[in-house]
Amino acid sequence: MARIRMLGPIEELQPVLGRVQDIGLVHLVEPSEGESLKRLDLTAEQDRHIRSVRKVAEDVHAAIALLGEMPTRHARTTEDLTLARAALIAGRSRRDLEALDQRRQELEEERALILKFRPFFSTFRKISESGLALEGIRVFYLVLREGGEQELRRIRVALRETLGDGFELLSQPSESGEAAMLLAVPKASGAKAEQLLSEAGVQALSLPDQFGDDSVGTTVQRMQTRLAELPGDLAELDNERTRIASERGRDLARIRAYVEDHLATVEAMEKAAVTPRAFVLEGWIPSAARADLERKLSKSFGDTVEVEAISSEEWSGETAPVVLKNPRLFQPFEAITKMMPLPKYGTVDPTPFVGVFFPMFFGITLGDIGYGAVLGAISLILRLRSQPYTKLRSISEIGLACALFTMIFGFLYGELFGDLGHRVGLHPIIFNREEAFFPFLGLAVALGVVHIVLGLFIGAVKMFRQDKRHAVGRGMAGVMVILIVFALLAAFGMLPERFFTPLVITTLVALPILVVGEGILAPVELVSTLGNVLSYARIMAVGTASVMMAVVANRMTGAFGGVVVGVICALLFHLVNFVLGVFSPTIHMLRLHYVEFFGKFFSPGGAQYQPFRHWSPRENNAVEERSA
Amino acid sequence: METIALYMSAAFAVAIPALATGWAQSLIGPAPAATLAEKPEMSVTVVLLIAIPETVAILGFVISVLILMQGGG
Repeated sequence: MARIRMLGPIEELQPVLGRVQDIGLVHLVEPSEGESLKRLDLTAEQDRHIRSVRKVAEDVHAAIALLGEMPTRHARTTEDLTLARAALIAGRSRRDLEALDQRRQELEEERALILKFRPFFSTFRKISESGLALEGIRVFYLVLREGGEQELRRIRVALRETLGDGFELLSQPSESGEAAMLLAVPKASGAKAEQLLSEAGVQALSLPDQFGDDSVGTTVQRMQTRLAELPGDLAELDNERTRIASERGRDLARIRAYVEDHLATVEAMEKAAVTPRAFVLEGWIPSAARADLERKLSKSFGDTVEVEAISSEEWSGETAPVVLKNPRLFQPFEAITKMMPLPKYGTVDPTPFVGVFFPMFFGITLGDIGYGAVLGAISLILRLRSQPYTKLRSISEIGLACALFTMIFGFLYGELFGDLGHRVGLHPIIFNREEAFFPFLGLAVALGVVHIVLGLFIGAVKMFRQDKRHAVGRGMAGVMVILIVFALLAAFGMLPERFFTPLVITTLVALPILVVGEGILAPVELVSTLGNVLSYARIMAVGTASVMMAVVANRMTGAFGGVVVGVICALLFHLVNFVLGVFSPTIHMLRLHYVEFFGKFFSPGGAQYQPFRHWSPRENNAVEERSA
Repeated sequence: METIALYMSAAFAVAIPALATGWAQSLIGPAPAATLAEKPEMSVTVVLLIAIPETVAILGFVISVLILMQGGG
């Protein structure tokens, strides 16, 4: 990154900002303070204008959200679009779409209410055929659960005690087994009956307002008619929305780009500093693109606008924005790096290491051809259905890499849905995870040693330019981890015993160098680093748990008498194991990376590189696209 | 008798750290949950915070396996 300063006459500020926005590579920042420089003050008229633009932005975003269809093509701002016209289209579209949405909600509610009555339509119709006259009385539609005869008798008694003979209670069993009841009372006794029903805990269905005053038969008839009409009404609303989308969708996309561009320009103007005659803009630009910016500005404005580089002595790397730049193969793994704060400018981007170790550790843990194939299929479907440069696309590609490693290690372990692989002729090539706990533990810890030592060495290399003493200390910590591991191997007879004494002596010689480099607390930190290595035992623990659950699932086929029941249980158990087998290693591998590995070298705190440019629907991802 | 002691030791080696992990996570849990209500973007940090004590249970599991292996179980 290079820090630059652009200077020019104040009347050229707006055109220069327009050109810089077209170029789209400068991450603007507020200029360094100076006595003669002051912030640009907006006039009252400009203030009003900005408020209008913000209102249009609000309307257009609301309208597009209600439309539910994001225009996929990038809509460039065009000159024929005025703010007044934009405000008119955005405001009208928002109002129309909100009205449609409101109407849809009302229809959905109406349908839901009628559907509540649906199971009782035939029952209430039979009641209505009993010839009950309903003028001047209040009707309650009740539902009594199955086997509620005793409850019905109790309600009848309670009603008789309270209302005497002034009520009619008709009941009819419905097809679902519940009893539909109709209670008719004089309107004057309505409140008493309501209270009584509420005390008895009987569910009363409330009729939609438009059906409230009719007789039972007519009500049921009208509800049925309405239920048949509703899908048509809803489809009409959908058609109306589609019409608005086709008529105004492109306009709304243009307006959104127009107002967002406008607001970005306002924000950029707020970052400008001015004198009575000149303006100053400061920002960051990728070093390689500086010459291009100078050439383009010079072509547009001649000698009136000057671009100068600010010497690196005037700024520190702490303030420079950061953009992650990786080969295509590793780009999906930037999603994992970005879940942490971005690394500081000039420090190491851990994405390539994550791209290698994350899927590998995942594969070693899950290690099953069957599960790997299922994961691969799911990831492939997600990959095909996701849009480029979205998080879902990254997740699907990470899933594919994990699936590949899972199948490779599944082949090496001889596992296909657990021990099913052994039954169909697959044989473990490296070890059988059902029995070989020690080799698996050894592999997990060895991976821990490699990962942690790599992290320490990366930290040492990164530190070497700024602080050589600390860098040597960090490197020595890595060497000592290796020495201690080899000494332990010699002590347990896995290496020739004659190596033990030289290794211990070398470790003791290295200790003072470590203390000089990293300080008096370095030995304590070394112990913690060895703890970090042991933390990789989780690869073995989670992996063993996964394979054992798969074995249990396979044994279910013969454990329940019937083959069909056994197979269904086994499939369900495999499904549970698959979900756990994907979720658990993901969490644990993330933790191994973020806590154990990143902790050795990662310096978070970088600011995201956000160049001032034209708005696009996939704004955030475009930064990566350009830098790649 | 020795076999019983062996299996009991293996069981306790994993059960006690697992309980300790559960206890630690129950203490940690409410704070991240409250954080998530205000800052959903902290979800990764939250998951990591909750996952950190699990190391104890995993080491317990490893010790348990070692006991069973050494004892020939």
